[in-house]
Amino acid sequence: MKKTDWAVYLKVLCFSAVFASIGNWISTIKAGAPVTPLEAVPGMVLLLVITIVGQLIWEMINKVWSKNLPAIAYISLIAIIVTIPGFPGAEFTAASINKIGLLPLCTPILAYAGISLGKDLDTFKKQGPAIVAVSLFAFLGTYIGSAIIAQLILKLTGVI
Amino acid sequence: MKKFFEDWKIHALAFILTLVAELIGTKRFDLGFTAFSLFPMLYVLIFGGILGGAKVLPRKMMEEASPYIGISVLLLTAKVGSTIGPNLANVIKAGPALLLQEFGNLGTAVLALPIAVYVFHMGRACIGSSFSISREGSLAVVASKYGLDSEEGMGVMGSYITGTVLGTLFYGIMVSILAPTGIFHPYALAMACGTGSASMMSASLGAVIDAYPAMAEELTAYAATSNMLSSVDGLYMSLFIAVPMCEWMYKKFTANNKHYNDGKPIDKKAKKEAE
Repeated sequence: MKKTDWAVYLKVLCFSAVFASIGNWISTIKAGAPVTPLEAVPGMVLLLVITIVGQLIWEMINKVWSKNLPAIAYISLIAIIVTIPGFPGAEFTAASINKIGLLPLCTPILAYAGISLGKDLDTFKKQGPAIVAVSLFAFLGTYIGSAIIAQLILKLTGVI
Repeated sequence: MKKFFEDWKIHALAFILTLVAELIGTKRFDLGFTAFSLFPMLYVLIFGGILGGAKVLPRKMMEEASPYIGISVLLLTAKVGSTIGPNLANVIKAGPALLLQEFGNLGTAVLALPIAVYVFHMGRACIGSSFSISREGSLAVVASKYGLDSEEGMGVMGSYITGTVLGTLFYGIMVSILAPTGIFHPYALAMACGTGSASMMSASLGAVIDAYPAMAEELTAYAATSNMLSSVDGLYMSLFIAVPMCEWMYKKFTANNKHYNDGKPIDKKAKKEAE
């Protein structure tokens, strides 16, 4: 990324982190176990660091390998490694990040998505019914697919 | 520096939407035979869509907000990853049936993509809709591979909304029809419940337990482990197998298909006008 791209990248990450911390506060108050934005700081900082390190690794690999994987593969991998029990500080990392709920973290992302949604509304209207139907077939497909394989393997291994 | 903060309106609006949505909070609807919940992230999407649709937001703002989705979704990727590490040891203990049934998750593409192409003549949006059950991690996958404002992005977002609103309802009904038929052993039914979404798992597991109450404990363990496995392998399964598979199927199915031209669906209206 260019310098200006990095600036935008960091800006959006920080804004999202702050919005999510406040959203997390509201949602945890409602759930009866409040996590203040201040208490969420270590977890948020760790998420930011993991994301940025993942992005840097992606950039380095990008220089030598043109068919690079997307950055999320590296970000996810780092997040997995640093939370495996036994990795230095893994327990603290996992516990800190755990204070931030999955759903409050999604809200700011979807807020940006919502703001940009208007420009695609017409296409959405046109494709909407087909997308709904196809989604339901996808839901059916994963269930039946898993059930068939599980049934076969359980039979073959003599469990059932 | 001035330019750097020029887009403050977008962030301010994102913040306000987030605040309002979280203040409304999760709403649970109980229909007796099944229940479903609406989440704040769904509200922000709808609010934004309404503002945009009502032309309150300038087009430039909508376009500028679009790349921000792909950036903010990275935090989510890190969060999802951090829940995998602590579970990794359990994956090794899971046993062959539980591990191999994970590949059954590709059933999304196997069933949905042909229907999307041959029945609905959909464009590339169907790739976004078909490769997974379109939960949060899938948004990240599509955002980084295609961008969320692409056709594929529209597909995954549409499916995401569908899943959020109808997912638990659909699984609850479908499994309560399937479970008593005896086609599948209750263990297999329980393992299949783990699709990577906790709420969908609960809905389908509820239906399996309802049919086989005596096995409740084992069934719950199988479903929970399978769900954990799906959330561990989901991202990599999508990136390395499901998305390439959908790409390949889409290419194969649309080639020499009279409803498609060069991988794009032929617009019926435009075709008529041309004639």
